[in-house]
Amino acid sequence: MLDFPSRQRPFPLLVTVVLVQVLLLAFQIKRDNDVRLVRVWAVEFLTPLQRAATWSISSVRGGWRNYIDLRRTHAENEFLKAQVDKLQLQNRQLESRAAEADRLAALLNFKQSHTEVPMLVAQVIGASADLASRTIFINRGERDHLRRNLPVITPDGVVGKIVEVLPGSSQVLLISDQNSGVGALFAETRTHGVVKGTSDPLLRLEYIANEEKVHVGELVVTSGEDKIYPKDLPVGTVTSVKQGNPFQVITVEAAARLDRLEDVIVLMTQQEVSMKKPAEEAEPPQQ
Amino acid sequence: MSSRAQIEQHIEVHKFYGGAVVGVAFLALVLQGFLNKFGSWAGLLELPLLVTIYFSLSRRNPATGLLLGTGIGILQDAVSQMPIGFYGIAKTFVGYVASSFGGRIDTEHPISRFGLVLVFFHFHQFLLTLMDRVLLARPATYFSWKLLIASAVNAAVAVVLFPLLDHLRKPS
Repeated sequence: MLDFPSRQRPFPLLVTVVLVQVLLLAFQIKRDNDVRLVRVWAVEFLTPLQRAATWSISSVRGGWRNYIDLRRTHAENEFLKAQVDKLQLQNRQLESRAAEADRLAALLNFKQSHTEVPMLVAQVIGASADLASRTIFINRGERDHLRRNLPVITPDGVVGKIVEVLPGSSQVLLISDQNSGVGALFAETRTHGVVKGTSDPLLRLEYIANEEKVHVGELVVTSGEDKIYPKDLPVGTVTSVKQGNPFQVITVEAAARLDRLEDVIVLMTQQEVSMKKPAEEAEPPQQ
Repeated sequence: MSSRAQIEQHIEVHKFYGGAVVGVAFLALVLQGFLNKFGSWAGLLELPLLVTIYFSLSRRNPATGLLLGTGIGILQDAVSQMPIGFYGIAKTFVGYVASSFGGRIDTEHPISRFGLVLVFFHFHQFLLTLMDRVLLARPATYFSWKLLIASAVNAAVAVVLFPLLDHLRKPS
């Protein structure tokens, strides 16, 4: 038991202790001097304890994080995986919608830049059920005043023509179908021929004499002679040229992405359509 | 036997296991330094003050109380950036007054402990502000909402902490 100093005289002790501390404070303030020794002893004594406390807490926290908390991490991981799957699905949907928006924007742009030509935007709703024919169905029909032989295009080029009109839909024969034929000519030399489908991705340009100089990459456009497709619509580009008998064997890659059609334009007339894009039209003439 | 001596006979002076007072005082200082690493909310707690109050109330000896307050206060000064004696003086007074009160009122009931700690916290803060202004010539303000919250927090902690410290008492 701490009996010193005695209980009977605590007040003088209080005054003494406080006075000593006030003097100590005054000494420190007056001399701007620190009682370094007391601090060093206190810190030297307390620091190891604080270090031990910090180490203990860190160890417990580390143990919790590394072991016990793993259970929560596992559940969190499962949750995050589900979230990733969900977000990936949403991302794909958004990408699809963005692509659709791009396509529709291109169609709208095309339509707005050709206001003089009556046209109708249609959505591809199906394709032929057999492998031999290359046809698609669009969501426009008699109710939209569509009729047979109307040309179907995309901003990239010719797609085909309407071969069957139903009340709410129509069947389009693609230019890649073997029964299809498009009056065409070379954009540069203006040499005429006929683009025929082969039921393969590549088309064939026929009736070009062997004497004609044809280059790979040359642009083929509609000639308008078939009375279906307006003149100067892009059909495709030459991918290979071979001498044949009596005509050259020329393969053409379709300008329109016939294997990835989703939205198309039905031209309600055979009036000539300029396929120049608005951006190209805005460009100043080169010097 | 005088009447004063008769009264003192009825006052129960608690004794603690060897090293308990010193150990808890150091632990409070260590924990205080450790808690202050966790941001400003930890600054609301004043563990060294709570320990001073507890042991002073329990010992009920003003001399012991003031010396305990002095020791804890000076150590607190030493590990802080304050001049030695700043917390020392404040806790000396707290220890002295707390041990003086300990012999006169019930200090065991939780509500009583809450109220006592609340009062001693503000007393301690008042002394610090006074010394700040008079001895250190610094413009210190006494009242703030943070101080009010801190006093309530410390009083609430004391209600939980003091029964734990009661286990360090020797059986009477």
